[in-house]
Amino acid sequence: MTQSGFTVDVDQNQYLPEGGRDVSAIVTVTSSADADGIPAAATGAPASAEVIIIDCSGSMEYPHTKIAEARAATAAAIDVVRDGVWFSVIAGTDTAWPVFPPDGSMAIANDASRAAARQAVTALQASGGTAIGQWLSLARQIFAAYPARLRHAILLTDGKNQHQTPDQLLAALRACEGVFSCDCRGVGTDWEVGELRTISTALLGTVDIVADPSGLAADFAGMMRSAMGKQVADVALRVWTPQHATIRFVKQVAPAVDDLTARRTPSGPQAGDYPTGAWGPGESRDYHVGVEVNPAGVGQEMLAARVSLVTGPPSAAEVLGQGLVRAIWTDDEALSTELNPRVAHYTGQTELAGAIQEGLDARKQGNEEVATAKLGRAVALAHQSGNEDTARLLAKVVDVVDVETGTVRLKKKVEDVDEMALDTRSTKTVRVKKTQS
Amino acid sequence: MAVCPNGHDSASEDFCEVCGMRIAVSAGNPQPAAPSSAPGIPPAGVPGTSAAGTSAAGTRAAGAGLPGTGAFPTGAMPTGGLAAGQGAPAVPATSCPRCGTARTGQFCESCGFNFTTPGSFASPPSYAPPSSTLPPFPGLQVPPTASAPGADAHVTWTAVVAADRAYYDQVRAASGSEGEAIGFPAYYAERRFRLAGTQMRIGRRSVSRGLEPEIDLTGPPVDPGISRLHAVLIAVLDSGWAVLDPGSANGTLVNGTEVRVGDQVPLHDGDRINLGAWTAITVYRG
Repeated sequence: MTQSGFTVDVDQNQYLPEGGRDVSAIVTVTSSADADGIPAAATGAPASAEVIIIDCSGSMEYPHTKIAEARAATAAAIDVVRDGVWFSVIAGTDTAWPVFPPDGSMAIANDASRAAARQAVTALQASGGTAIGQWLSLARQIFAAYPARLRHAILLTDGKNQHQTPDQLLAALRACEGVFSCDCRGVGTDWEVGELRTISTALLGTVDIVADPSGLAADFAGMMRSAMGKQVADVALRVWTPQHATIRFVKQVAPAVDDLTARRTPSGPQAGDYPTGAWGPGESRDYHVGVEVNPAGVGQEMLAARVSLVTGPPSAAEVLGQGLVRAIWTDDEALSTELNPRVAHYTGQTELAGAIQEGLDARKQGNEEVATAKLGRAVALAHQSGNEDTARLLAKVVDVVDVETGTVRLKKKVEDVDEMALDTRSTKTVRVKKTQS
Repeated sequence: MAVCPNGHDSASEDFCEVCGMRIAVSAGNPQPAAPSSAPGIPPAGVPGTSAAGTSAAGTRAAGAGLPGTGAFPTGAMPTGGLAAGQGAPAVPATSCPRCGTARTGQFCESCGFNFTTPGSFASPPSYAPPSSTLPPFPGLQVPPTASAPGADAHVTWTAVVAADRAYYDQVRAASGSEGEAIGFPAYYAERRFRLAGTQMRIGRRSVSRGLEPEIDLTGPPVDPGISRLHAVLIAVLDSGWAVLDPGSANGTLVNGTEVRVGDQVPLHDGDRINLGAWTAITVYRG
């Protein structure tokens, strides 16, 4: 169905055997490629607001290139901010303070304000500790005063959250959920992948490693360009299921694996919303939905789930698209035992991401047997699904003996950067398009 | 506003917004609004009306009030509101066999029990459908409707317990070294049990636990893979049976497929239940 420029396609084997209860489907959401225009900037409430958060802790001086490139990257991102968008830059150490505008407000982007911001950023110095929760809290306060539709931040750090407890970070993070989205980058190899991934997952953003500081400028410009392209904010996947049915899981599986199951907010009888953040034109994401239903009789048809894309406040949600996940009971075994290839593929990709993370964790804990088994399984899955990027990253951490059976040997010496690259990118999946039949 | 096959009012017209069943009429699907499927419910407030054939067209949605049971020759009265609006062969079951809640549709509103478990239909007593042109749901067996009031189809089920060599070979192959100690019995006399009552437990007697299963497989010969309380045969509706594994140590198979703990698996004539190392219980409906 196409409404308001979104299409929702459902791909599944809808046939269940007698007494069958498990329904699984891949839901592909695509926003139409032609943009109807950039969100209105000049009149009334601002459409977009951006905050750039830069780590200014002492370690950013060692080597000096880190802080130098961070300044350059911030300037590069500022240059991409479109006229009329609200923006601000903040610096973070064991506390956080606004860099531009210095009073903690937001500036409307134009040539003059961008130039002033670049000027302010050149004065950034590195000294102090790291308490990322403080940075997030300041960003939240700044966003709160400027109620734009699309609210996005870029966060850069080079180290671990040393000056806060995990609970403090989580508390700050929880307050930010739904307020703004955040893409996280770690420069160098002294930061904690798990920490940044917790933030990017909660705030519906991406996480990545930038091993060499000179790569920061291009990365920042790319992130800001992508943010400028977003048009529809706060889009949610609304899943309705019939009485007595249970949702087993809702996971994003392309472009990256992200389990949304626990992020459900009830939104009506038998329905719940899962957040998906902001969408730009031409974006496409795949979701894997699993529902357990009470079996009906052979020959009967039931709607196992109605998946809609909604945006706007709960009281006046606008439905942008809808797809139907069905269940038909049959005694024809040929129909009910068929495995939908996309469901199978994405189940494999989800398993691949899990195998990598478990394997890397086991390796860190010194449990070599488990690490070898898990990373071996990952190698086999990456090969089977044609996920070459992940296969290449895996090859830096293990020696592959047999790619079909997943027989590997852990490398004795693995560079931190290779291990962290594999960790951060473990969730990236290979897409499988629906074959037109 | 549409009405689904289970009688729910639904704002959405393609699938019921309560239970998800398809509402839209398509080839082969019975039209849920057909008025002829209201057995035993006379128009409200008219006691003594002959049950046979008087349709309560349209009263289904209104929750027809029921007169006292004295007006009808036999029991199995639909209670509550919407018992009969199925568009399917009329099902007279009055309350959920699992939790006792009065039945209002195809699924129990309280525990989700599926009343249309295939094989469980009995001819509705005191009812002759006014028209037989209404097609049943494809794939379901519809027993011939009795024309005489009170004609219950007398169905008896028998469970035959025997030693199953093919199953034993399968178990041995899967068990590896642990299975080597278990031998196949040299002689096993078939035992027959008539299924009666609401449930029949399958297992092995335990004095300490006060457990006396109705189908007691203590032996000799003893099948070591059978738990004290291994499975339960449960009566569903008037004359159907299902098997449930409440959590046995080694699991239970029906026709070769393992049943999930807690699932009620409906049984058909000739179904084979395998449990333990070599036991097979075949049920016959006659």
